[in-house]
Amino acid sequence: MCLLPLVVSTGTLRIFIFANFLAIFAMSWDILSGRTGYISFGHPFLIGIAGYTTAMLTYHLGWPLYTTIPIAVVATMIGGTLFFLPALRTRGTYFALVTLAFMEVMYHSMQVVQPKLTGGTRGLSGLPTLVSGAIPNYYLSFLVMFAIGVGLWLLIRTRLGIALDAIRMDEDAVRSSGLNTTRLKLFAFMVSAMVAGIGGALYIHYLGSIAPRGIFEINFLFTILVAALLGGAGSIVGPIIGAFFLTFLLELLRPYIPGAARYLIYGVIALVLYYYAPKGIYSFVELLRIRLTGLSQAKKND
Amino acid sequence: MTDLLEVRDLTKTFGGLSAVKNLSFCVSEGETVGLIGPNGAGKTTIFNLIMNEFRPDSGEIFFKGEAISRYPTHERVKLGIARTYQVPRPFSEMTVGENIRVGMLPDNLWKMVTEETEEALEIEIGRSVGFDDHQIAQQPSELAMGDLRRLELARTLAIQPSLLLLDEVFAGLTLGEIDQISELLVERKKYGLTYVMVSHDLRSMAPLVDRVIAVSFGEIITEGTFDEVVNNKIVQEAYLGQ
Repeated sequence: MCLLPLVVSTGTLRIFIFANFLAIFAMSWDILSGRTGYISFGHPFLIGIAGYTTAMLTYHLGWPLYTTIPIAVVATMIGGTLFFLPALRTRGTYFALVTLAFMEVMYHSMQVVQPKLTGGTRGLSGLPTLVSGAIPNYYLSFLVMFAIGVGLWLLIRTRLGIALDAIRMDEDAVRSSGLNTTRLKLFAFMVSAMVAGIGGALYIHYLGSIAPRGIFEINFLFTILVAALLGGAGSIVGPIIGAFFLTFLLELLRPYIPGAARYLIYGVIALVLYYYAPKGIYSFVELLRIRLTGLSQAKKND
Repeated sequence: MTDLLEVRDLTKTFGGLSAVKNLSFCVSEGETVGLIGPNGAGKTTIFNLIMNEFRPDSGEIFFKGEAISRYPTHERVKLGIARTYQVPRPFSEMTVGENIRVGMLPDNLWKMVTEETEEALEIEIGRSVGFDDHQIAQQPSELAMGDLRRLELARTLAIQPSLLLLDEVFAGLTLGEIDQISELLVERKKYGLTYVMVSHDLRSMAPLVDRVIAVSFGEIITEGTFDEVVNNKIVQEAYLGQ
């Protein structure tokens, strides 16, 4: 992955950059929804908080990025928590709907409330970028994605991972094991918000612009969801695989299916997944690993 | 003996049905109590109320002298009450060992993340209910009903409760499995475990309880030793109908 810029064109590299960001968002979604089973339809909402915070601070006040990005991440965690705390008390479908509502509310309020600040429908453009050019941006996004992946993996392999998994399987039984599930969910949520915040802020400064229609769009939401589910929710590697697979699938389809019609593929993917691999692509990787290690085990036993 | 659990004037209605009516009873430390009654008498509801899975309409619950009626479920568990479910509810995508591990988890994020799993203890708890090492690595879907009940028991024992609420632990088990669980309970009782047990299997329950409380339509009909209660005329009528 490190030598990639040497072998591919700038255009392809830009696709990889998007895949890196999508992987960050998918991991963020997965640590909350893939683990605890609380399906969030509001991740663009979180990404939006981060994006708008850093965009407005740099655009209007001219603050440097090394202050606005951390502020944006903290704002996402605090803002997200304030809004989601009531939502975490609801369950299943209700949680999904409540979070979806937040995204819609944010979409419209960003356009009509204080358009001078937010840039209204058009958003803000001409934002400063952290690094310029495809190659540095590729390395930056890849390193951040990789670091987040490793960080989450280290966190999840502790007993926290098992506690979050248990919530997905039977929350009442976790509670009757003496665990405060609200606190666990809140923690998972804050980690998720932090990752979404980092990804969102960096993404905005990669694009150099922010617009409500780009972020609070149902297709963007579904891209994140499908990436996580396609790769295999409840694993760290899964969402990364899913993000890359999906990004390139959409790019390959671009010449054949123009515009938003490409997103019809999500329906097809959902069906295929449902029938053949409910646990995503990652389950094949796992299966292969078990086969291979199983074979070597069997050989040892002989 | 001091009261470990005291339930005072507990009432719970579902719509027009009163599941539990002004129910009061005590369980002393080290005592083992059987809770019997016909189907729908309110036995499981009593457990649900003690664990705060339902909120009572009125009444108080005391544990170790503390009024716990306003405590959420996990706080009650941390004080030392644990229950098993009538229908075993294992974490389906985890191994037996991991299921037990959930019971052992501390309710403290920092400790949860930084401390290592005590695998030796996990295996010990698994073995104490009769699992072999092969089974400890298996998933619940591979287990028989008796094993699932033992898993339910293991997970609750992992919480190290001072009061255990056992809901139909013998249902659907073979005689051999019943013996195994009975032995385990007798053993735990020796070490001072207090439990309240709901069961329809009166014969298996008899040697395991010091005292029996009979309920019908959410009210206590009578209490006393096992023989007293099962020979009670009202109890027999409640069970068999008039």
